[in-house]
Amino acid sequence: MTDVLARRDRALSPDETEALLRDRLGDGITGSTLEFGTFTVHVAASSWHAAVQSCRDESLLAYDMFDSLFGIDAREEGFDVVTVLYSTSTGNRICLRTRCDGGRETPVCETITDIYRGADWMERETWDMFGIDFVGHPALEPRLLTVENFEGWPLRKDFHLASRVAKPWPGVNEPAELDEDGNVIKRQPQIGDAPGPYDLDKAMAEQARAVNASAIEAAREADDARAAEGSTPALDVQESEQADNAVDAESETSPSGPGASPADEEPTAAEKADARRKEQAEARTRKAAERTAEESGDDPQLDQETYDRLIAEGKSERIARSKAKAARIKKQRAAEAATDDDEQGDA
Amino acid sequence: MSELSTRDRIHPGTAPGEDLHLEILGDGDFATAEMSLSIGPAHPATHGVLRIVLDMDGERVVGARPVIGYMHRGFEKLAEYRDFRQIMALVNRHDWLSGFSNELGVALAVEEMLEMEVPDRAQWIRMLIAEWNRILNHLMFVGSFAIELGAITPMFYAFREREDIQHLLESATGGRLHFTYNQPGGLKIDLPKGFLRQSADLVTTLRKRVPDYKDLVLGNEIFQARTKGVGPLPADVALSYGVTGPTLHAAGVPEDSRVTEPYLKYGDIDVHVPLGENGDAYDRFSCLLHRIDASLDIIEQIHDHIPAGPVNSKLPKMVKAPEGSTYVRTENPLGQLGYWLESDGGRTPWRLKMRTPSFSNVQAVPYLLNGVLVPDAVAVLGSVFFVVGDIDR
Repeated sequence: MTDVLARRDRALSPDETEALLRDRLGDGITGSTLEFGTFTVHVAASSWHAAVQSCRDESLLAYDMFDSLFGIDAREEGFDVVTVLYSTSTGNRICLRTRCDGGRETPVCETITDIYRGADWMERETWDMFGIDFVGHPALEPRLLTVENFEGWPLRKDFHLASRVAKPWPGVNEPAELDEDGNVIKRQPQIGDAPGPYDLDKAMAEQARAVNASAIEAAREADDARAAEGSTPALDVQESEQADNAVDAESETSPSGPGASPADEEPTAAEKADARRKEQAEARTRKAAERTAEESGDDPQLDQETYDRLIAEGKSERIARSKAKAARIKKQRAAEAATDDDEQGDA
Repeated sequence: MSELSTRDRIHPGTAPGEDLHLEILGDGDFATAEMSLSIGPAHPATHGVLRIVLDMDGERVVGARPVIGYMHRGFEKLAEYRDFRQIMALVNRHDWLSGFSNELGVALAVEEMLEMEVPDRAQWIRMLIAEWNRILNHLMFVGSFAIELGAITPMFYAFREREDIQHLLESATGGRLHFTYNQPGGLKIDLPKGFLRQSADLVTTLRKRVPDYKDLVLGNEIFQARTKGVGPLPADVALSYGVTGPTLHAAGVPEDSRVTEPYLKYGDIDVHVPLGENGDAYDRFSCLLHRIDASLDIIEQIHDHIPAGPVNSKLPKMVKAPEGSTYVRTENPLGQLGYWLESDGGRTPWRLKMRTPSFSNVQAVPYLLNGVLVPDAVAVLGSVFFVVGDIDR
C-alpha cells in the first residue's frame, strides 16, 4: 500500500483545485466550501457538464472514480444536484454542487451520463425522487425505485410522509418535546392534525355510549326485574338442566314400549332412523313447551303437595320449587312405568 | 408452415410492463429470433428479489436490464423524520448483512458535524465489531455463491461459522443482524466480561476452518471451470460505474477507504487488501474469501491494541448538528458506503443520502452479462456481491 500513500504528494490542495477549475471554467465556478472535512465546489448550472468533464480529463485532477450523484431540496430556490468524485491516482475527493435551472416547477440539469457510466441510474433515481429532468439522459422513465404510476416526487420537502400526516409522533419522551432543561414542552395542536390514538379511543367510546344508550337501559331494567323476582340466572340454568335430564330420561324410556312388543318383521335401518328422528323432534317440542310454560309463570310441573310441605318446613321458595319439580317428575315416571306394564300385560 | 411464416406472437406477455414473447420466423433458413427472458423477482438464483430481464439470442445473452425497486422502503425520506440518534436503528436495515458497518457511517458523520471526541476504546471496539461483521457478511456470500453454482456443502459450513460469530456479537450488542450498538459519541455499552478472550478463541477456530473453504471451493475443478475467465470487469469500467469492494479489488485496484482514507484507528494498524488480476468471477470470489483472512489479521491486531477507558461521551439532551453538510465514506463488507449528511441546524437531518455499494455494483451487471451464456450469467450474478435491500433502500 506504499504507492497508495505516496501518491498523496501529487495531490492538489483544495485551493489549487479550485484555482485550476476557475482557470478552465471562469465564471462557471461560483465558490467553494471546505466544511467538516468535505470539499465542495459550487458550479453554475450552465457549466455543470463542462466542470465534471474537466474534473475527469485534467491530468492534474484525474477524478476517475464516480462515487454518487443525488439531489437536495433547496427550499424556495429550487433544487441542488451534487456529485461526488474520487481520484484513485491522487486520493482526492471532490463534491460538485449546482443549483438547477427552472426553480421548483421545472428543475432541469445537464446529464453527465456520457462522462461516467454510473451516472445513469443515479440520475434516474434523482428524477424519480425529485423530478429533476436531466437533459440528454437516454431514458429517465420508467421510474427506477417507485412504481410506474407513482404520483409526486417523494424526497421533495412538500411531499409529506403519509404516516406522519395520519398520526403525529407518539409519546412525550421524544427529545423534540424536551427543552434545554429537560422539561416537557407540550405540543400545541395544529390545524390538520388527525386525532391521536388516545383521543380517537375516547371519541369512539363516547359515540358507542350514545348509540347504545337505549339498549343499555333495557338490559338494566331486565336485570332489576330478575333481581326483584329473586332468581339468579345460575339457578335458572340448573333448573332447566334438571328438566332436560328428565326429558332425556323420558325419551329413553318411551321407545321401550313399541320395541318390547313382539314384531314379526324387523324394522329396517331407515325406518329406525326415521322413528328416532321423530322422537327427538317430539322431545324438542315438548322441552320448548315446558320452557315457555316456566317463563309464563304458572308451572304445571310442580308437585303442589311437596311444595307446600317444604314451604311449611321453612325452606326457601327456590329450593322448594326445584324439589317439588323433581318429585313431580318422579311421580310421572312411575305412572308411565305402570301404564307400560299394563300394555305389556294386555299384549 | 406457411401460416407461421409471418411473425406471429404465440405467447402473450406474462409480466407487467415486459413482453415475454416468442417469434417464429420460419422462412426456411435456420434463423434465430431474440427473445426476452425475465429472471426474478423471486427466482432462487437471485438472492432477494432482484429482477433481471435478459434479451437472449439462443443461449447467448445480448442485453440485460436489472429491474430494481421492489424493496424500496424510502429510508432517505424516513431519516428526515428522525433525529440523529434514531437514524441508527434505521440505517442498519438497508444492508441486513452488514448492520454494524452501516450504523458506523452515520455515527461518524454525526460526530464529524458535532466535532465530538470519541473515546479511544470506543473506536477500537467499533473496529473490532465492524471486522467481525465483515467476516459474517463474507461467509454468507461464500455459501450463497457456491449454492448458485450447484454446491450445497459450503453453505452448511458457512452457517456453522456464522452461528458462532453471531453468538459472540449477540453477547455484546444483543442483536444478531440489527445490532444498533453505535450512538453518536461512542457505543451504547461496554463489551461484556470475557468478550476479548472469546473473540481470540474464535479467531483461532476460524484460522483452522478458513483453509477448508479454499480447498473446498477455490480448489474445486468444477468451480474453476465455471468461474475462470467468466465476466471480466476492467478497472476503468469498474471505476466509471463506481464499483467498489471485492468486485473492484478483483480488477486490481487497491481502493479501500480503510487504507486510503483511514477512519477510526485503521491508520494505526496494518490492513491488507487482497487483489485480483483478471477481474473475473473467480478473482472476485477469491478476493472475498481472502478478505476473511485479512479481517482475522486485523482482529488480532485490535486485540493487542484495545485500551481501557470509557466507551461513550456525554450527549446533550438534544443532538442538533450545526448547519452544513458532510460526506463520510466507510469500507462496508460489500464496498464503499457513503453518507451525505446535510443539516439545517434542526434536530433531524435535512438530507441523508445513502450511497450504497450494491446499487453501484449492480449497475455494472448489464456490462458483465453482455455476450455470456445463460449458465455463466448465474455465475456472473453471484460473483457481483450485492444485497437487494442495499440496492433499493
